[in-house]
Amino acid sequence: MGIELNRRRFLGLTASVAGVAAAQGLLSACGAGGGPQPVGANSDSLKAVLPAHVPNPLIKPDIPSVPGGPDVLTDPGFLSYPTNRPVTVPSVPGRGGRYTAVTPLWGTIPPADNAFYQAMNKALGVTLEMKPADGNNYATIVPTMTAAKKLPDWIQLPSWWDTNFNIGGLAGSQLADLTPYLSGDKIKKYPNLAALPTGAWRAGAWGDKLYGIPCFAGSFNIAGATFYRRDVLEAKGITADQVKSMDDLMNLGKELTDPKAGVWAFDDVYRYLYTHFGAPLKWRVDDGKLVHLYETPEWMEAVEWHYKLATSGYMHPDALAGDNEAAGTRFYSGKTLISGGGLGAWNLSDHQSGSAANPAYRRGAFNIFAADGKSKPVVYMGATTRMLSYLNVNLKPEQIEELLAVANYLAAPYGTAEFTMVNFGVEGVHHNMVNGVPQITEQGQKEVQATTYPFLAAPPAVIQNQGADQVTKDYTAWQAANAQALVKPVFWNMNISMPQAQATADAAQQVEDTLKDCYHGKKKPADVQAAVASWKSGGGDRLKQWMTENVLDKFGTGQ
Amino acid sequence: MTAPRTQRRPGPGFRVRLLRDRSLLLMTLPAVLLLVVFNYVPLFGLVTAFQEYDPLVGVWYSRWAGLEQFERLFSDPLFWGALRNTLYLSFVQLVLFFPIPIALALLLNSLISQRVKNFIQSVVYLPHFFSWVLAITIFQQMLGGAGALNQFLRSNDIGTWDIMTDPETFALLVTAQVIWKEAGWGIIVFLAALAAINTDLYEAAAADGAGRWRRLWHITLPGLRGVIVLMLVLRLGNALTVGFEQLLIQREAVGHDTADVLDTFSFYYGIATNDYSYGAAAGLFKSVISLLMIWGANKLAHAFGEDGLYRR
Repeated sequence: MGIELNRRRFLGLTASVAGVAAAQGLLSACGAGGGPQPVGANSDSLKAVLPAHVPNPLIKPDIPSVPGGPDVLTDPGFLSYPTNRPVTVPSVPGRGGRYTAVTPLWGTIPPADNAFYQAMNKALGVTLEMKPADGNNYATIVPTMTAAKKLPDWIQLPSWWDTNFNIGGLAGSQLADLTPYLSGDKIKKYPNLAALPTGAWRAGAWGDKLYGIPCFAGSFNIAGATFYRRDVLEAKGITADQVKSMDDLMNLGKELTDPKAGVWAFDDVYRYLYTHFGAPLKWRVDDGKLVHLYETPEWMEAVEWHYKLATSGYMHPDALAGDNEAAGTRFYSGKTLISGGGLGAWNLSDHQSGSAANPAYRRGAFNIFAADGKSKPVVYMGATTRMLSYLNVNLKPEQIEELLAVANYLAAPYGTAEFTMVNFGVEGVHHNMVNGVPQITEQGQKEVQATTYPFLAAPPAVIQNQGADQVTKDYTAWQAANAQALVKPVFWNMNISMPQAQATADAAQQVEDTLKDCYHGKKKPADVQAAVASWKSGGGDRLKQWMTENVLDKFGTGQ
Repeated sequence: MTAPRTQRRPGPGFRVRLLRDRSLLLMTLPAVLLLVVFNYVPLFGLVTAFQEYDPLVGVWYSRWAGLEQFERLFSDPLFWGALRNTLYLSFVQLVLFFPIPIALALLLNSLISQRVKNFIQSVVYLPHFFSWVLAITIFQQMLGGAGALNQFLRSNDIGTWDIMTDPETFALLVTAQVIWKEAGWGIIVFLAALAAINTDLYEAAAADGAGRWRRLWHITLPGLRGVIVLMLVLRLGNALTVGFEQLLIQREAVGHDTADVLDTFSFYYGIATNDYSYGAAAGLFKSVISLLMIWGANKLAHAFGEDGLYRR
């Protein structure tokens, strides 16, 4: 025991001082001692255990959701904060248990045991010791906990760090299997959890079992869109629906560019446009065979178009120079008018930043269109949620049930009494109602606005921008107009953990670098093709074979 | 150099010295600790260069790969490209950057007015304290495709000048940035060396009729020689380190095959793609070559009768 302890302490020292990711695995090996888990994908048989979906129609949104294809529903829009705040959890959910919870926090850590935590503990009926950890170092903090097998009772593990956290290996060994509590109709015991979209539970499943509790799930999840300055274009008499093909977009670029005035039509647009050419997100299945994006002629077509754009003179020189940090400033100041971006940008703070630069500022997005202007417009859906919390495997069944009841409280829909408590704290202390809108106080800013509880469980996403209704109206209208274009990609919401060599090939750094150089005009499409050829022989083909044998053949496509 | 050495007298014993120097030893202790903790302990991570390191299973369970990573490395054209870029940039910087702080120091030293001297010194020091992000943003704002210069040219219907994104002249651009940012800082050590030269020598030479240039050649430069050689040895030891952030930030501007140096190569093709062993192998290669270079340069310095890194 003594030797073991010393070795671990020594390695702990190494890991913490080396500060490089290379050292991270040192500890996990000592602690867990488990071998690699090559794949933790979800097969079609997962569907048998998925929780039932029971929507929660308590509060009517001002702008209702619009259904699209399967598993697609636009986010509801709220123009005002609901005035009657129904109670969805009539009795205190907890039975006095004591638990610890760790969540990432990008901001200032609130004081421990503050008035908000105390009020929440009272409302939840448990003593939940919140331990927010620095979000920027979260990926290095968590592995030390898993290595020592000392995970808290409840923890947030964002899915973009799945590889760092080895969730595939933790599921079942350190994270609790929630299938016995939530599958099928069992979830009806927790109505707010039952109202979460089914896709979100798939995103938290490993090896056909339920593990993750979804936060901020949305049924309209796409990577991003091609935004434009609606105020500027409409002043010129141009509306978004005039752009129906790539040719239209290129012509618009010509019309809008005025270098002498320091205005160029385009910033970077590749990331959210290449699928318009009919290229897959990353994989597709042609006649039962797996095909990678890089192998498709549609993708090459997209690359060629973007090279043409880069050399056309319609792109801002700073964008071509790879200066992404200033892209927002260029857009706000009207130096660029069309720019690709994540949908998260379409919100109140964007409106405030834009209006500060120009009072007329209005963000718009082009509808999804097909490159040729004739085919059916398609955009691929992303994971339903990328933020999931997990419970510790050492919890007793009654403890798990208690925490699920707490999660049910935290997942109460937008505008309910519980939602108001979780997001705005106690009235008179953390917020005051001003014209029906909760106005956060200084104490509230310190204790409540630092997001903690919503990283354990949260209701489905809604669109609301108090004080900027135009934004809510524009965004909900855009979602409704494009709901039909959303399509599930191959391996949708499937968790796949690959061996190192495959992960490296999957990242395809050389191809991505050359591609970036190409859509910035430094490299020709032929150079991209050459990079793809060397990628294929250097691991790409083996990746495809591995994906075929270990994922496609065993688990299907996740449709 | 076989100067007769003085007969070494038997010194006091180890314990006596330990006791005598205890305060000095205690004072060095924090520095030694830092060195051990931050420079020596992480060396253990190098073991991953000989593995197929998988963070999911850790160092103990990762497969041993022997020299496989190095075989991969030496057959990777991107690696050789990065090495070529590194050596080229290093050479350009040695020729164009290295003499500038010396010249600046001499220039400053020749100024009589202390106020003018202080002013110039402050101005040229300042950029050292800027981050690379800021420095490159300033360059971009001034010389970029939509920067002040090109907008001026454009509004006067003169053709634009592509400075920031031309791969052909990237080495010159990078060196210009280094000069702008670091030359002022580099003069400190030379100014100190200049201050150490005995002013009597100048007076005596002036009395003997030596002009400005002869005094520079026969007094100032020999007085600086030791420091110049020391800086050169250090520079050569660092020849494979030509800046990381500066190139990382401008990588997209000129393309990866122009801007990638060994450090960015390890980052992008090792750490960024979770291919840690590969990155570690590239890093180890760089360290070994750097060690050899600093050793060689030091030998050379000794051969010329200079102190180099330490007195022989």
